[in-house]
Order: sequence, then structure tokens, then C-alpha cells
Amino acid sequence: MPALNGNQSKYVTLVSSDGFEFVLLREATFVSPAIKSMLDPKSQFAESKTGRCVFEEISGMVLEKVVEYFQYWYKNKEREDVPDMEIPVELCLEILTAADYLGIDNLM
Amino acid sequence: MANNSIRGPQSALTDYLASQNISAYGIRQSVDARRRAAATNTSNQAANGEEDDDDDEPSATTARQARAQKRKKQADAIAKIKDSKAFKRQKMHSARDEDDLALDMYQEKFVPVPGQIDNCEECKKRFTVTAYTRQGPEGGLLCPKCSSKLADAEKAAKKTAKKKSTGGPAGGRSRRKIASQLLDGQVGVKSLLTLCVETLANNIDLADDLGHSSPQVIDRIARQLSKRRLLNPHTLNLFLQSQAEDIILYDAARLAPADYERIFQTCSKLKNLKLRNAIQFKDTTMEYLISRHIVLNSIYLHGANLISEEYWEKYLKAKGKDLKALRVYFTDKHFSDKIVQSLQKYCPSLTHLKICHNQAVTNEGIKHIARLKELEHLSLQLVNETSTEPYVHVIKNIGSQLRTFSVRVIPEVDDRLLDAIHDNCTTLAKLRITRSECMTDAGFARLFTNWKNRPLTFIDLELNRYVDAQTPRENRHMVGLCSDGFRAMMNHSGKRLKRLSVHGCRHITREAFEDVFSPNKTYPELLDMEISFCEEVTDFVLASIFRCCPKLKKLNVFGCMKVKEVRVPRGKILVGVPNAMGMVIEGTED
Repeated sequence: MPALNGNQSKYVTLVSSDGFEFVLLREATFVSPAIKSMLDPKSQFAESKTGRCVFEEISGMVLEKVVEYFQYWYKNKEREDVPDMEIPVELCLEILTAADYLGIDNLM
Repeated sequence: MANNSIRGPQSALTDYLASQNISAYGIRQSVDARRRAAATNTSNQAANGEEDDDDDEPSATTARQARAQKRKKQADAIAKIKDSKAFKRQKMHSARDEDDLALDMYQEKFVPVPGQIDNCEECKKRFTVTAYTRQGPEGGLLCPKCSSKLADAEKAAKKTAKKKSTGGPAGGRSRRKIASQLLDGQVGVKSLLTLCVETLANNIDLADDLGHSSPQVIDRIARQLSKRRLLNPHTLNLFLQSQAEDIILYDAARLAPADYERIFQTCSKLKNLKLRNAIQFKDTTMEYLISRHIVLNSIYLHGANLISEEYWEKYLKAKGKDLKALRVYFTDKHFSDKIVQSLQKYCPSLTHLKICHNQAVTNEGIKHIARLKELEHLSLQLVNETSTEPYVHVIKNIGSQLRTFSVRVIPEVDDRLLDAIHDNCTTLAKLRITRSECMTDAGFARLFTNWKNRPLTFIDLELNRYVDAQTPRENRHMVGLCSDGFRAMMNHSGKRLKRLSVHGCRHITREAFEDVFSPNKTYPELLDMEISFCEEVTDFVLASIFRCCPKLKKLNVFGCMKVKEVRVPRGKILVGVPNAMGMVIEGTED
């Protein structure tokens, strides 16, 4: 979805290596500094113009979980006592690598 | 009917009843009919047995009546069932005929008749039905064995359902766990990395390889495993990668000498070795390390008290040339003055030296540190009593290049050290001086007034206070860190200060706190602050601190008994409030 600079769409699209597309709130992706800087209009990355981020290293299954985390974070970021999100054991290492790649570490 | 009756004189009661159109015969008949109906109704051999019974009945009419009644009852019951919600629900899910279904449900409602013999629905065994006999899932009866099994299964199901239902905001997590997380500084949503690392630690037995994770991720995993005490010879394998330059194990207590040797065998490019609780790191391990082609830049050994003085010297002699950082904790009497003396000769490029909980190093050894010309970070915590002179000697010689100066538990050391630091140090970032009983407020004030050093980022002046059993509060000579020193310190370093501890400096007055945290001052970098056992701290002081330190994350106030009710801003953690609420208050105020 092309968006004009200054008049950005509220939503962005994340695309996995195997072509799965996830549309979610732009603000929910800001927990990842990597995606935030990609989408920053000042950054001049292609992603900031199209609102579309393609991750060649992340498979659909893993990206699905990451997107789920984005939503979980967005929903709960104002709260103090939050139940942990379940991470499927078999995908744990792959999600860990993706989280490291996207910089979803220190939230403070 | 008339020929059945006995003729004769009638009692007054019979007369009366007859006048009311009630006959004893009719009553008996209806009772019999009801009884029989109940018996056939409740017995499981409903329809079939009924026909055979008919001939034995004394009166065909009553039987017919009873049957008619029973059928009517059954029809009523079935009609009721058809109206019921359960029936409608079942009907939705099955394509069967309505009447069949209703009849099924009707028969399911049979109550067990005690004393009856039946076959168990599950195991087909014959058993005697009692009042406690349960119905199986198919509607039949269960023998005691099978019914207890079913009861267990139901109990378990209930338990898990309960667990799930309490997974709401408080999240089935215990109070203890929440408090523990608060103390770790964990408020709100955990990061995805943390969640993954925790899941991994929970299932560490399933992992056989950490893949190509970054060193930061591997460190996070190592920390989590050590925290959970999961590091053992088996999980050690995850960290042994041939390309690894760093091995950092926070809890090596379960590793044997052979495991350490395995580290040196696999990781041929090892540069930095950090082992905590390395109890089994012995002379033989040291010898093996010396024999390998590994050249370490940094050694951090905690708890390795089996390494003898001889092997410390052997190692430093053989591999000390490239050693940049040497940190040893709990080495008993084996890391001695002689070793410290040899550092100058063997380790010319040493920049970090930390000797903690050491029982052997004395004043003599400290003097030798003054000759380490590259040293930038020095930390000492010695068990032996030390005097002021050797520290002053060190500061005079290498003070100008030091960036970290940390000396703990130095009861005999006095203001001369502070003056030496003031005169010589210009590049310090971290300063720790704890438990001096001789340093005075004036000394601290002199140190921080017009000091050429740039603002410090870390200050720990824990327990520098006047100690007297008789008159603990009467501090005539202003011993320890008091108001003036505190003011001067914050004035000098407030701009850059990240961590501050004035734990137990109980002679800092309320006025000094109020001055330092007055509305026109801010400490933009301060993250972590420890003011426990500062007796003069009040609610107002805490509120001022929260206002002056926008980045503050954690504030410890154990033993500040004047703290009563304080409003903690959102995202900040206040630990140690003396009230019944518990020791942690997490900020909720906006």
C-alpha cells in the first residue's frame, strides 16, 4: 500500500521469505528499533515510502509469531502486570534469532 | 369389583370415607400400581421384562392401569426432555430421529437401584450396584474401579481448567514471582528476546545447538541457565563452539575438571574466560590451560580456591604477556603478595585488576600495584586490614590514568586517600570507597570541591559512617559521609551520575537531601539509587528525588523509617518501604 510522505497509512505490511504477508498497525511495529528505523520517513529507506518490509531471513511461521508479539506488546504496553506470551518450543530458537535481528530486546 | 369386596358391618370410618367417595380398596390399588410402576421404571430391563411380568400380576387391570400410567409418565418425561436445552443442543449435533434421541436421554436418566447386579460399561465386569455407583459416559453404570478412574480424570480436568481460568491479569503467577521480577527491574511486557530465552531455558534438554546466535544472545542464554542452575556438563556443550572467543559461565559449580579441559579443547580461539563458582578449576586444569595454544586476554575466576600459588605464578609466567584483565574472587590464601608483585614483570599490558575476598594480599602487595603502568581499572576487597599509605602510594603513581578505583571494607583508611584522589585522579568514572570509619565529611567535601576530574558516572560510598555503640547519633567530628560531602558530591557529579549508593550514610541530614533534590535541580542520567538506612529520608525527600531524576528506575529505601506513604510514579520501582504492603512498591501514579 503506497503512502504519501507525511500522510502515512496507519498500517504496514510485513512480508516473510516465503511470501506470507502480515498487515498490522504501524505503531505496533515500533517495539522493534530495526523496523521503526526502516519505516521512519526521514530514513529514506524504500520501506518508509511503501510501508512494506520484506524479510528474506524470516519464514512465515516465525514472522507470524513475531507479529503476534507486536500485537501483544501494543495491547499490553501500558499495563504493568501482563501474562507472558506463549512461545512454541519448536520455533523458539528461530524466533530468538529473529528477535535479536529485529532488536526486540530492551524495552526501556 | 363388587364380588371382590367383603360384605359385613362397616366401621364409622369406612362409612365416612365412602361418603367422601374414597374406598380403601381404591387406595391400595393405586399404591400397588405406583409401587410397581416405580419398580419397573427404575429397573434397567425396562420394556422386555414388563411383558413377562404381566402374567404374574394378580390383577391384569391394575397392571394395565399401571402400564398406562407409566407410559403417560414416560411420554411426559420425553416431552419435557424434548423441551430441554440439553436435548436441543444434542439435536444440533446429531442427525438422528428426534424421538430416538429423546428416548435415549430418557433412559440415561435411570438412577441406579442399590443391590442390583450389572455389567460395568467400561470393563464389562459384573458388579453390585450401590448408591454410590456412577454413570459412565455412554449412560451405563460403572464398577467402583472404573468410576474412581473417571473421578480422577475429572479432577485433573478441573484443575487444568482452573489454572487456565486464572490466567488473567494476575496471570496465575505467584506473588513471589511478581516480586522477584520487580526486583529484577522487570515491569510490564517482557521483550520477545527474554520470552524466547526463558522458553529455551525451560526446554533446554531439547536443544542440541544454539545455531549461529550472536554473542549477546548467547550471553543472555548463559545468564538465564545459570540463574536457573541448569548449567551442567550436558548443557555446557551448547556453549562450546569452535569459533567462540568468549566463554562466560555464571554458574560453573557443577562442572568437573574434565569439563573445563573440554572448553580448552573445543574453543581454540578463546580470548575471554569468565567462570563464576569455578570450584573445580584446579592446578591440573591450569596446567592443561598452560599446555594449550590458547592465549587469554582476560581471566575472570570466581571461587577457584584450589589453584595454588605455584600454578598462579606458572600461568602468569607462561601466558601473562597478553593478559589485559585479571579478576579473581575467593582465591583463599593462594593469590598472594608475591603474585601481585610478579604482575609487573609477567603482565606488562594489564589494564584491569580486581582482587576480591582475598585473604593473602596485604599492604605490601598493594604497594606493588603502583608499578602497573597500564592499569586503568583497579578493584580491591581484601580481608587483611590495610592502612592508608599503600593506597596513597598507588594513587600518587598511577592515579592519573585510573578510570575505576574501587576499594571495599577499609575501616582504617583515612582522609589522606581522598586528598590523594583529589590531587591525582583526573579521568575517574567509577569510584567506590566503602566502610571507612576514619574518613570525615570534610575529607569528602574537599575531594569533590574543585576536583579536576570530570563528573563521575558511578559512586558508591556505602557505610562510610561514624560507628559508636554508646552514642551512635552524636557525631561530633563529622565522621563519614555527611551533609557537606553529599552536597559537594552531587554538585560535582550530578550531571553524569548513573548509579549512586550512599547506603548507611546516616548522618546526611534532611536539609541536605532537600537541598540536593530541590526543584531547580535535575539529575538527568541517574538510573539507580541506594539510600537505605539514611535515617533522615522522608516522603517529601522521595517525592523530590522522583521529580529531580527523570530516568530513575529503581530506588532502595530499606530502613528509612520516616517513609510512610509515598506516591511512586509509573515505571519506577521503590524497594524496601517499611510497611505491611510488602517491600516493593511499583509505581502506578502518572
